Amino acid sequence: MLARPCWGRALSLLAALSCLTAPYVWAQGELAGARAAYNEGRYDDAISGFTRLVRRQPASAEAARGLVRALGEVGRYRDAEHTARRFVERNSRSPELWTLLGEVLLRQGRRDEAERAFANAVRGGASDSLAARLNLAILRYERGDVAEAMREFDAFIDVYNQTPRLNSDELTAVATAVRYLGVNDPQLYRDALRAYDEAVSAAPHDFEPQLLIGELFLEKYSGTEALETFDSILAKNPNHPRALLGLARTRRFAGSPEALQLARRSIEINPNLVPARVFLATLYIELEDYGKAAREVGRALEVDSTTLQALSVLAAIRFLQGDQGGFDEARRRAFSLNPRFAGFYNTLAEVSARNRLYHLAVRFAQQAVELDPKSWRGYGLLGINQLRVGSMEAGRENLEVAFEGDPYDVWTKNTLDLLDTLAHYSETATARFRFVIDGKESRLLSLYAGELAEEAYDRLAARYGYRPATPIRVEVYPSHADFSVRTVGLVGVGALGVSFGPVLAMDSPSARELGSFNWGSTLWHEIAHTFHLGVTDHKVPRWFSEGLAVLEERRARPGWGGDVSPGFLMAFREGRLLPVGELNNGFMRPQYPEQVAFSYYQASLVCELIERDHGPQALSRMLQGYRDGRSTSAVFRSVLHTDLEAFNEVFERYLRDRFGRALAALGSVELLGAHGKRSRDEVAERVRRDPDDFAAQLAMGQMLTAEGRLDEAVPHLERAKSLFPEYAGPGNPYWHLALIHKRQGAARKAVEELLALTAINGGNYQAFLELAGLQESLQDSKGAAEALDRALYVYPMDIAVHRRLAELSAELGDWGRAIRERRAAVALDPVDRAKALYQLARAYFSAGDRESARRTVVQALEIAPNYAAAQDLLLEIHDARKDR
Amino acid sequence: MRRTWLAAVLGGALVVRPMDVMAQTYLVVVSGIGGEPKYSQVFEEWCTTLVGAARDRFHLPDESIVYLAESPGRHTDIAGKSTKQNVEGALNDLATRAEPAARIFIVLVGHGSAVGGQMRFNLPGPDMTAEDFAAVLSRFPTQEIVFANLSSASGGFIPVLSGKRRAIVTATKSGFERNETIFPGHFVAAFAGDGADTDKDERVSVLEAFNYARREVARAYESENRLLTEHALLDDDGDGRGSTEPDPLTGDGGMAMRLFLHSPTQSAGVISDPELAALYKGKEQLEQQLAALRSRKDEMAAELYQRQLERLLLELARTSRAIREREGKQP
Repeated sequence: MLARPCWGRALSLLAALSCLTAPYVWAQGELAGARAAYNEGRYDDAISGFTRLVRRQPASAEAARGLVRALGEVGRYRDAEHTARRFVERNSRSPELWTLLGEVLLRQGRRDEAERAFANAVRGGASDSLAARLNLAILRYERGDVAEAMREFDAFIDVYNQTPRLNSDELTAVATAVRYLGVNDPQLYRDALRAYDEAVSAAPHDFEPQLLIGELFLEKYSGTEALETFDSILAKNPNHPRALLGLARTRRFAGSPEALQLARRSIEINPNLVPARVFLATLYIELEDYGKAAREVGRALEVDSTTLQALSVLAAIRFLQGDQGGFDEARRRAFSLNPRFAGFYNTLAEVSARNRLYHLAVRFAQQAVELDPKSWRGYGLLGINQLRVGSMEAGRENLEVAFEGDPYDVWTKNTLDLLDTLAHYSETATARFRFVIDGKESRLLSLYAGELAEEAYDRLAARYGYRPATPIRVEVYPSHADFSVRTVGLVGVGALGVSFGPVLAMDSPSARELGSFNWGSTLWHEIAHTFHLGVTDHKVPRWFSEGLAVLEERRARPGWGGDVSPGFLMAFREGRLLPVGELNNGFMRPQYPEQVAFSYYQASLVCELIERDHGPQALSRMLQGYRDGRSTSAVFRSVLHTDLEAFNEVFERYLRDRFGRALAALGSVELLGAHGKRSRDEVAERVRRDPDDFAAQLAMGQMLTAEGRLDEAVPHLERAKSLFPEYAGPGNPYWHLALIHKRQGAARKAVEELLALTAINGGNYQAFLELAGLQESLQDSKGAAEALDRALYVYPMDIAVHRRLAELSAELGDWGRAIRERRAAVALDPVDRAKALYQLARAYFSAGDRESARRTVVQALEIAPNYAAAQDLLLEIHDARKDR
Repeated sequence: MRRTWLAAVLGGALVVRPMDVMAQTYLVVVSGIGGEPKYSQVFEEWCTTLVGAARDRFHLPDESIVYLAESPGRHTDIAGKSTKQNVEGALNDLATRAEPAARIFIVLVGHGSAVGGQMRFNLPGPDMTAEDFAAVLSRFPTQEIVFANLSSASGGFIPVLSGKRRAIVTATKSGFERNETIFPGHFVAAFAGDGADTDKDERVSVLEAFNYARREVARAYESENRLLTEHALLDDDGDGRGSTEPDPLTGDGGMAMRLFLHSPTQSAGVISDPELAALYKGKEQLEQQLAALRSRKDEMAAELYQRQLERLLLELARTSRAIREREGKQP
């Protein structure tokens, strides 16, 4: 029989036990809760929880650590310092908080005090003394005592090898030390990554090693991996300020406006996060807003006056502002902290390059590698910027050095790979240009690019009274990814071309979908930049250079240089266009997908308005103002005698006057391109209600056309055209009217529509082909040839177009163009090469160039010796020589 | 040398005009099942064009052409429905009447598939496999065969059908390239249009047609910025492996370059005019010298090569003009 338990005694024992354990159990629970709040980014809850614990258990190092960390994460460094100090004062025999105290002091730039704290942690044998040792070595490194610091970092390898089980913090310390050693042996970067990974496995909830992994990827420009790392932290803690900063830096690679927003969010959580302030400053520098940049750096230096990065960025700002005294002072401060800090010049090189000052970037990078021959980043920056100014050999050599020192730098590797690709490109030259084009396309594109570039040079030189040094190197890439690497070192850039000044790079027409851009106008645009950069010593702001370059496109050929879209006018109406003073943001940090395109167009209109109101010389005088280092507002005041605010008002009026009719007719543009979703009755009702509704009229016209009710469609399309005559984008009324007229046999009327369309939009390939066909049907060979000629600057790869243009040119006796077109046909490597060569020879012969004709027909006959027509031509040539 | 010179044998008085083909040529065209009207239509368009070119341009007599298609009523050239039974029947019939030295062109246009490792050409009713065709082709033991399977997933036919006296063309490199092909349109255009006769001998060889079509396919894909999803193959050296870029000097292409889709009577003839015979003889010699010179090009100084080349070409041009004048042809 079982004995009955004596509940009375048992209960009292239980009660006694609970009296003993309840605070402990409760405290453990609260500690876990505070930690969870910290890990999830509920920092206020975490601070409250840890604070209660610290009050209740002042001897608990865990609670004190938690509180110091939580306070530090939100930038309350003073409070964190106070907490740590209280702990070490009250628990003088415990060394546990010295390391954290040192880190908090370090964040405030109090390096000597921090060093003493770390030394105390080591001396006292704190559980985190390995981290303290690491911090001591880093302090030494940052003072420029590199050799000794390296010896100390090296000792961490022994720690790793000889200690059987390291915890996450210790593995993180080892990894960071090994990362420093990577400068001598790049393979150690892999070991660092491995140790960080082990640290993550040892403590999956500790974000520190994950953050450091992300930052390592960022340092090597491995954007995708960095993004994954920061994303995974933010999925667990959306408020982690350093992860937000990491993500911001990653997004900057892609030129995303999120970079600015993320950096600001990071600072909202930790207003004293110095790297975030410094990063924000660099973003403002890119926007050429040096005032805001300086304010951010100033706030960073208020928190930590010893931050080398902040001092470097401050020096860059002063340099760009032309403030030599300020620059010297920032440099003095940086080098008094670390006389071997190559990062100072690397930062200057990076900032210079981002502001298109490539020659200066070369100079600064050179100084970086002279100061520290192991600055692989310095060699990388030197090489990349040398390539940008056309020093190809020197650039490659320095990139090779950079790669040998750090083969994990993606930018360096990509660029070297690109240089290998360039080895397969062909070089052709004109008087002032050297074209470097993929071997398959070189013979074709150089036929057009050379002539066009020379024309651009002459016209721009006359306009700006300036002649850039020659030869100007033009690289044309059939792979957009290669162009992107050439531009920013990484894939993913959205632009079509770039001008570094003496070097231009652009997409080949084969790099994009047929007809998606006008490569001729792109080339013209980039050459214009070369002039603007040269005239201003590379000081022209982005928005002005873009606006001027688009304006130059427009002057070059009808239909080049962009045209107005309903989206642009809607953005204007809704106040989404930026004021001139902030127009750079539209290029650098667009807030919506179309803003970059809108900014190009807006900037060009600003330039047009200036030219209209102040004469063409005003634009040149503005360039001179920028060359003298003046800001946009100063340039507006001195050249245009107006301030930006007043100009913005004038510009707004200008837009209203110029596009008033269209603005009024754009009641709602959602019907554009989406009429398939609406019934014809709905559209008809809208037309009936408001005959001045552009979108409804256009949609109605399109619907009726699709139904074959052409006569009924015409009045709607005509109405749409009169409401918004500048619209020549997708589905425009000109195109539909042209097709209707063609179908109705009214070729002349169709031609008129297409001429009007292509005068506005010079990028519509189909329109040019259609126009050429119609003009031929009207026996207008000259017009047809002109249309085909213009089509070639959109898409030059169709051999049939070249053949047709050659025939038309021959018909017109334009042997120069006929020869060019026959050469183009040969360059396109036709299956019937013998025939193409024969036709080229015939064109030469007709043009009186017997020598070229003879050489070429022999080439044709070498392929096809019994080619009767070619044989006859050969005999003709020889007979003609005999007759001479 | 492609041409035969018999003047010496015939004492110089009687000359056979140079010709490459003495054999009778037969053409069997099969348009497979379309599945959708647009495919049926385009397949039949291609086939009809090819048959028209063979008859009107290359002078193949009607009795040398067999054209089977999905819808026999759609065109008067179509002899019957392209069922397996009819295809096998037509080929078996041809096997009984084709001369031992005859040349048989078999062209398949349509969809293909690879099911369970078996390569098929899709027909109304039961499909025909590569093995089915191999069985029928075995009935042509002495004839030269051009077998062009221009369907999707056709690459797998080569290992099964490859052999002596056979040139096999496929529109794809394997059974895994299953997308619809544009190669057939260009292959047909090579025979029906201008542009494929790259050596300007006024004939289109199978090799010329193949090269023309593959390059036009590549150009079409490139202009549309699409990745090439069809890689045509030619096998004519009997090794069972096709080439995407055949080179007669090193492998495939040697047989295909001397196979032409035309009537043997088109270019054959006897020359009784001694002056003309002498001109032809001179032309032949010049061609031989040119071939010899071109084979030495890499070893010669460029300038010397060019000088000699031009001299020979000039001589050849004069001789050709004289032949034309003697024959009363317009230059």
